[in-house]
Amino acid sequence: MADRTILSFLLIAFQPANLLACFAGAVVGTLVGVLPGLGPAAVMALVIPLTLKLGPTAGLIMLAGIYYGSMYGGSTTSILVNVPGEPASVVTTLDGYAMAKKGRAGAALAIAAIGSFVAGTVSVIALQFFAPLLARSALAFGPAEYFVLTVLGVILLSNLTGKSRVKSLIMIMVGLMLSTIGFDPVGGVERFSFGFESVQGGISFIALTTGLFGVAEVFSVMAEKEKPMGLFPVRFRELYPDREELKRSLAPMARGSVLGFLIGLLPGPAATMAAFASYSLERRLSKRRDQFGKGAIEGVAGPESANNAAAGGAMVPLLSLGLPFTPTTAVLLGGMLLHGVTPGPFLLRDRPELFWGVIGSFYLGNAMLLILNLPLVGIFAKIVRVAPRYLMPIVLVLCVIGAYGDNLNLFDVWVMFGAGVTGYLMRKYGYEPAPLVIGLVLGPVMERSLRQALIISQGNLSGLWDSTLCQVMWFIVLLSAILPFITHYLRRSAASVSKKAN
Amino acid sequence: MGIRKEIASSLVLILCGAFFLLYDTRYPLDQWANPGPGVFPLLAGGIWVILAASEFIRAFRKTGSLTEEERSKEKIRFLREILQRNTGERKVLLMIAVFIIYLSMVKLVGFFTSTFLFVIVSSRLMGAKDWKGPVTLAAGTNLFCYLLFEVWLKLSFSRGILF
Repeated sequence: MADRTILSFLLIAFQPANLLACFAGAVVGTLVGVLPGLGPAAVMALVIPLTLKLGPTAGLIMLAGIYYGSMYGGSTTSILVNVPGEPASVVTTLDGYAMAKKGRAGAALAIAAIGSFVAGTVSVIALQFFAPLLARSALAFGPAEYFVLTVLGVILLSNLTGKSRVKSLIMIMVGLMLSTIGFDPVGGVERFSFGFESVQGGISFIALTTGLFGVAEVFSVMAEKEKPMGLFPVRFRELYPDREELKRSLAPMARGSVLGFLIGLLPGPAATMAAFASYSLERRLSKRRDQFGKGAIEGVAGPESANNAAAGGAMVPLLSLGLPFTPTTAVLLGGMLLHGVTPGPFLLRDRPELFWGVIGSFYLGNAMLLILNLPLVGIFAKIVRVAPRYLMPIVLVLCVIGAYGDNLNLFDVWVMFGAGVTGYLMRKYGYEPAPLVIGLVLGPVMERSLRQALIISQGNLSGLWDSTLCQVMWFIVLLSAILPFITHYLRRSAASVSKKAN
Repeated sequence: MGIRKEIASSLVLILCGAFFLLYDTRYPLDQWANPGPGVFPLLAGGIWVILAASEFIRAFRKTGSLTEEERSKEKIRFLREILQRNTGERKVLLMIAVFIIYLSMVKLVGFFTSTFLFVIVSSRLMGAKDWKGPVTLAAGTNLFCYLLFEVWLKLSFSRGILF
């Protein structure tokens, strides 16, 4: 494709409707990041029905805006209130809040916003090169390759939450099972509808995700005790880091951007992992190691850059392979499917305007977020004081409308309610809802490709590993499945050796 | 998380998985050359039950390896957890009841009326001390929903018997 065409597709993001969608997504995303307890996955699930009215390009630009906007907003409350809006901003509280206590809150916020902008832009440039490359190589995929790819996804994503691998795998299986409700994708046989007409076409994705993330989150917030929050005031003229702070932040920003993007390509809680990895890297490399935890600017610049870059990195497997590696990208994938857009290798070939339009919006969104976040930081910070007693009833009503608006069906609202109660119980019992959603979106692709591959090979199971590509992927599947056990065994034996030595 | 909770949750999962597997017997498996609609649910459900069973066994083994002292500590921890969490959980249970009433009322009294009442009640339940705030919030939420969803996005909500 000529560069000129790519440029014209990138400029699609500048069309008024898309520009507005990008702005709305960035603002909502920042608010999501600012408000503790309300995650981007929940809000994206709530907003999907709204975006359906905007059309696929504007709708997906808005959803993507919420995704990376939340990474920006998360730092605000970490620095000013010592309450991370997002898990990825937890590490920012260490030095960000310490800086605020020293009267450098403005500088910390500015460095966090600049770092986020730099990392966001770096990751979009990398995404622009990596995603098409991966998508083009994936065009050689047949049903067998797709099946192995989804199996690989399931194995790799079992580490999605960073908690129990077995529990994550169980949740993925529950999601796969739920994906079989409704007409089967090959023969059209109706399954598991239990006589309900409303689920003949499958269980509503929006109802399920709004319930699992939105309603369950409200219940979880209710079960916790409300904490009073103090807030450091920030004036506009204080939002300038001095030359020394800026100089000290440049290298951590660059390192955080590269590290974050690479971690973003891996399955798991990438943004959080990237922020922690960057913090420990900066601490190790710094000459002022003793200042870490007491207000070192590197402890803000590195992790904030890394978590934003990870958000961009996570878009590579989503756009080029159709595989969501994080809970938020899983909801984004669901949104894409509802818009009639199937992410994967064919997206670039069939819908280049959408592919490049969304990427173009990332550049635009990053610039918007920088402009938004610096002068409006005081207002965003005050929003954190909105008490849950006023915010949560609105979230519940929006969940109801989201579930109802999908098919104008009250049955879906009851499904959402059931999913909400189940999601709350799941969290209490240590089961995360994110792997379930991954199973739900991967299920139809997995089933279709398995059955097609078996039909093509006339029932010969070796058809699933005949090609070299399949064999390589099966080898990675095997390695990914065995590796955790080997490392666990090695760690245990190392621990017992050191115990004996002592 | 306590061992009792681990055992209980894995048991529920085994039962749910087994139910799906049993229900799956209604769908044909056919042959490998042309797999039927029952194959994929059988595989997913089978792995689900096996994994849940492994979680159950792992948790059950833990109880066996506990000493008498550890066992009594676990019991105390379990009870303390229940007592500590009860304050918040009572609120959640009440909210679930309010939510059920709200959803049942939507068809009867209409979306906007029931939403108005729901926002007030849930806001009070979440700790609002006065009436002015929740009532203003309820009116604002209704106006926002009406303008955004009904006027702009042309979603039609149930009006109920009142309107």
